[in-house]
Amino acid sequence: MSNRKILVVDDEQDICEFVKNFFQERGYDVLTASSGDEALATVKADRPELVLLDIKMKGMDGIATLKHLKDINRDLKVIMVTALADQDKMDEACRLGACEYITKPLVLDHLEQTVEKNLREIKV
Amino acid sequence: MDNKKDPSWAKFQSWFVEKLVTKDGGISPILPESGKSLSGLSSRQIPPEKYNYQAFLEKASRTMIRFKKPEHLIKMIVRNIDEQLKVTHTAVLLYKEDKNAYILIDSKGSEGIKIPIGFIKLATDNPLISVFSEKQSYLVSETGILHYGDVVAGLRNRNILEHQADLYDKLLLIKKQMDLMKASISVPCYFKRDLLGILVLGEKISGEPFSREEMGFFVTLANDAAMAIANAQLIENLQQKVEEVKELYVREHRIFIHTSIALAAAIDARDQYTHGHTERVTNYCLAIARELYGIPEMNNYKNFRETLQISALLHDIGKIGVPDHILNKHGRLSPEEFEEIKKHSVIGATILHPIKELGDVAKEIRHHQECYDGSGYPDGIKGSNIPLIARIISVADAFDAMTSNRPYRKRKTVEEALFELKRCSGAQFDPVMVSAFLLAYEKGNILTNGTNHAKY
Repeated sequence: MSNRKILVVDDEQDICEFVKNFFQERGYDVLTASSGDEALATVKADRPELVLLDIKMKGMDGIATLKHLKDINRDLKVIMVTALADQDKMDEACRLGACEYITKPLVLDHLEQTVEKNLREIKV
Repeated sequence: MDNKKDPSWAKFQSWFVEKLVTKDGGISPILPESGKSLSGLSSRQIPPEKYNYQAFLEKASRTMIRFKKPEHLIKMIVRNIDEQLKVTHTAVLLYKEDKNAYILIDSKGSEGIKIPIGFIKLATDNPLISVFSEKQSYLVSETGILHYGDVVAGLRNRNILEHQADLYDKLLLIKKQMDLMKASISVPCYFKRDLLGILVLGEKISGEPFSREEMGFFVTLANDAAMAIANAQLIENLQQKVEEVKELYVREHRIFIHTSIALAAAIDARDQYTHGHTERVTNYCLAIARELYGIPEMNNYKNFRETLQISALLHDIGKIGVPDHILNKHGRLSPEEFEEIKKHSVIGATILHPIKELGDVAKEIRHHQECYDGSGYPDGIKGSNIPLIARIISVADAFDAMTSNRPYRKRKTVEEALFELKRCSGAQFDPVMVSAFLLAYEKGNILTNGTNHAKY
């Protein structure tokens, strides 16, 4: 089986690189995008199975990006990442079809488990 | 120490010392001369090969204690280790009481390996934490450091696998946690018996193992840092406590003022002819005081405004001890009855006397019926022998009495009352207080409350 392909979207370079490295070492193909626009282009071109999407970004924010991502691919798994436990934003993200959200600080093994769990669901 | 094996090590120490003693470290310099070059420092002092760990650490710990915020200290340590030690990455976790967990405070390293802030949060029951907090010495080396290599070796040990299932499981969890952080070694920071934090180091970029000296150094550095962190946290806690005490003081003080107001209201309620009197007198007193600001006599009071306010509020508290039939009598008082009324200033002082904090107030209340020329009561003192606040209350009290109705006489108009004050200035009243009152009146700061005032 080929590697599972995921996309990490965060406007902080450090975080993108770290998460990329983290999942690469665990056998994933990892793409990164530092903005909503970049994320849309990557999803169209490279078709990842799952997206880790930061809510708070400059320019197009996570919610707007989520909307466009779902227009491109309704079945795309999107996990929202947020520093603020903003319930309204979360509810909106859920309505728009995000499958889960995790809050910062990201606990690494929780991050890994969440991604694995959601990818397993695709297999089924 | 073995400089051949690790040439960067001595350099690191000199550099570290330099960082510690110059403003680069974000702290004030220990040495008067600062900004010395690295080579200048090491060549002028001890040659690198003879470099003394002890001396270095003593210097480091002396400097560390100067940090007021633990985070600044951590940042300095992480930066120095990262720049000089050539490891893949460095991270420091610190215990945060509000989260009851160990949180990543700072990290450095190459791109993709450096752990971003906010990515690590270890609960107190995390195996990597408990191995240190419970001091499971069989897992850590004699230096106190936990080595990834030892954990892996333990997992390969058939004896553990077959006979110590619990330990095996624990080792697995520790390995997983260290994998997540790519930790080659973890160094605990203890203060007394508490685990304050953990220093996490990745592998050396060269791939070499850490030397004994390096590890001994980490442990001492970690413990010195722990001491400084504990110190900084203590200061932080202390500052918090100070704030709390201040807040408590403000609250207590508010309660106290409100209690005084309630007491004053009780006096007013009892004396039906002087309804609102206390409130008006207090406001007049404060208005007079505003005109007096800067006069030297005020400096004799620890807190002038507060003493004035409370004295004014409670100036008639002694009326509690005056019989009702005299206090509420319709018609003129007989000389005997008037003697009873005159006791109120002494009774008031006697009531407040046992309250140590109100020593000044009791004195002011005793004398608020004295006259500037010495013709008042109870002691007949005169001039500046009468305390300042008592002289202020005297004017305010008289003005309100004149402009209030009494059973036996109609009230004077404000203009008549002002005229009376001027007429008695220097006799009954301190001329300075009368002038201040007139000034306040001209500025519109003497507000005679119409409705309450006219009440009969």
